Amino acid sequence: MIWLYLHFPHLLLDHIRRAREDSGALVIVDGSGQTVLQACPEARELGVQVGMRLKTAITLAPELAIVQADDQQQARILEGQARWLYRYAAHVVPRPPNGLLAEVGSLQRLYGGLPAVWQTVEQALDEHQLTAWSGLGHTPLAARLIARTGKGECNADRDHILRTLGQLPLQVAEFDERTCTRLQRLGLDRLQQVFDLPPAELARRLSPETLARVQKILGSRPDPQPDWQPPHQFRQQADFAREIEQTQGLLFPLQRILSDLEDDLCWRQQETDTLFLTLQHRHEEPTRLRIRTSGPEHRAEAFLNLIRLRLERHPLRAPVLSLQLSVKRFLGREAPTERDLLGETQDLNEAWHTLMSRLQARLGESALSQLAPQADHRPERAWSAASLARKHQPTETTGLPRRPLWLLQGPQPLTSPPQAWFAGPERISGGWWDGQRVLRDYYIAQLDSGQLAWVFRDTQGGWYIHGWFG
Amino acid sequence: MSELLNTLMRDARVWQGHRHTATHQPAESTGYQRLDNQLGGLGWPTGALSECLLDAPGIGELHLLLPLMQRLSHRGKTVFWINPPHTPYAPALAREGVNLDQVVMVHTDNQGDFLWTLENCLRSPVTGLVMAWPDKLAARDIRRLQLAAEAGSNVCVLFRERHHAEQNSPAALRLELTPGDHQALKVNIVKRRGSWPGQRCSLSMGHRADLASQETPRIIRGPWRQGPGTAANR
Repeated sequence: MIWLYLHFPHLLLDHIRRAREDSGALVIVDGSGQTVLQACPEARELGVQVGMRLKTAITLAPELAIVQADDQQQARILEGQARWLYRYAAHVVPRPPNGLLAEVGSLQRLYGGLPAVWQTVEQALDEHQLTAWSGLGHTPLAARLIARTGKGECNADRDHILRTLGQLPLQVAEFDERTCTRLQRLGLDRLQQVFDLPPAELARRLSPETLARVQKILGSRPDPQPDWQPPHQFRQQADFAREIEQTQGLLFPLQRILSDLEDDLCWRQQETDTLFLTLQHRHEEPTRLRIRTSGPEHRAEAFLNLIRLRLERHPLRAPVLSLQLSVKRFLGREAPTERDLLGETQDLNEAWHTLMSRLQARLGESALSQLAPQADHRPERAWSAASLARKHQPTETTGLPRRPLWLLQGPQPLTSPPQAWFAGPERISGGWWDGQRVLRDYYIAQLDSGQLAWVFRDTQGGWYIHGWFG
Repeated sequence: MSELLNTLMRDARVWQGHRHTATHQPAESTGYQRLDNQLGGLGWPTGALSECLLDAPGIGELHLLLPLMQRLSHRGKTVFWINPPHTPYAPALAREGVNLDQVVMVHTDNQGDFLWTLENCLRSPVTGLVMAWPDKLAARDIRRLQLAAEAGSNVCVLFRERHHAEQNSPAALRLELTPGDHQALKVNIVKRRGSWPGQRCSLSMGHRADLASQETPRIIRGPWRQGPGTAANR
């Protein structure tokens, strides 16, 4: 087995930088906000160094953007990276806070050799605008130690790896502090010297755990790795160093997230019709937006247009700290069929969905409706308006009685007697089963204005207009 | 230069009083032979605005468009009703053979949304017919819609009040609709691109309530006692 370890030296920094349009100096500080943990190149140019006190850093770079490190956030970002790596390798293990482990030995044949695997991963890292130090090893720990020193090479030769490991100083081997001190007091400062110690002595004089660790590094003791599966949903977050006040500023990071979503959907061979967008504010409840398309969609551009329309309609309530896009609903991608509703090409079908989604995004979902007849005798219940759906149910058109094309929202009193009476009465009686009793005699009559009306008389003898023969 | 002029002539964009040009405007038949004849044998212009000017609903204005609705909805084109004043009654539409899957009703809250919706519908290739009932339209709004209509190739009919007939409008076709005798619909062509206005015709619309137009009204013995007048007083 050959393991690849990716060490992200400043994951949080990369994550925030790629959601920014401008490139100002940016640092990540520790939880207490005292010390600089990560600094971007712009900040380093100004003299800010890792490990520096924040106060010093601000003096050096007054325009410094500061982000506090958050373990949970970092774990979430790391998982996001594991998700894309999972597309290339089957066995991926996130190693919080900033590492990813992948088994690549089995991929050699698929990609055509280890250098090709290495290059594929490097390229993907580049696409995701991430800095990572990679390392190969015959055991997970060996890969990790090599990667963390930043001296990783694309060479999976066991002896070469052992040589590299042997030259590493003791401090990078991640023994606990007490063991490290004791080993140093023994006069050891290279890992090779520890490897050379007799195992029994190592266990007896130091601790069995130290021996286990050494053996795991060398590969003489199994080091099973848990199996990680990506969750069956899409979730990405963009955090901003400075709060965003304009809608326009949200679109830039959204564009990247949506193109990731498109990749993800293409990879899954699925589509979606619902996006959830959550905008976090500092002092207010988060804004939650649900963006719906009228049909399955996977293109980033289409989603972006809808979101833009939606944000134009609903301006931001408060400055935005971070935005999160999640997709929980996945639909199977439909192969283009001849038997779609339009009976035309797929292009028209897509155009239909695009138009409807656009209209819904701006006007609201309830503004659009489709009509259908209902099986009921009462005129006001003989129709229904449903929200858009591409349904294929054939409507029964034979045997429907003569009805006007316009139905009034509610019956209106007839104010003057009609000029002429044409047909009727047609008695409609129903609704005894649900309490909405209707007992009416319907007539067709022409009013003085020349309008042809559908009028009825109820049981109380009142006359009403219920429709127009338009 | 001359080519430009020729194009203008051919598309009937320059009005020539002395002759009726057989224009090459794309159009959809109205389904009423008489009206088609008055419209130069063409019908509803596509890729242009049409206006129907009428006082009140219920005079057969929807039946004027029904043949087109039937045809387009079965061709897989969508028919939009934007801000209709009343509910388009689904059972009646289904009975007339309109494919209801292709009928979409849109309600907008304000003028800005209305124009935006109309424009988007007009520019889409899926749209066959847009029927819209605007509140108020400024001349520049109609101009904007006319441009959107030209971008697509669908029929757009605006239903407006009759008093707008006196104002000018960039619409390609303007029809004044009034009720006639025997439930007929009188159509007066107020404006037609590339031709003289003023043609009139009367379309029999008695079938919209299953009434044969020549038949005298079959008075049903109403349930009223001294005539309908008293009944309405209740």
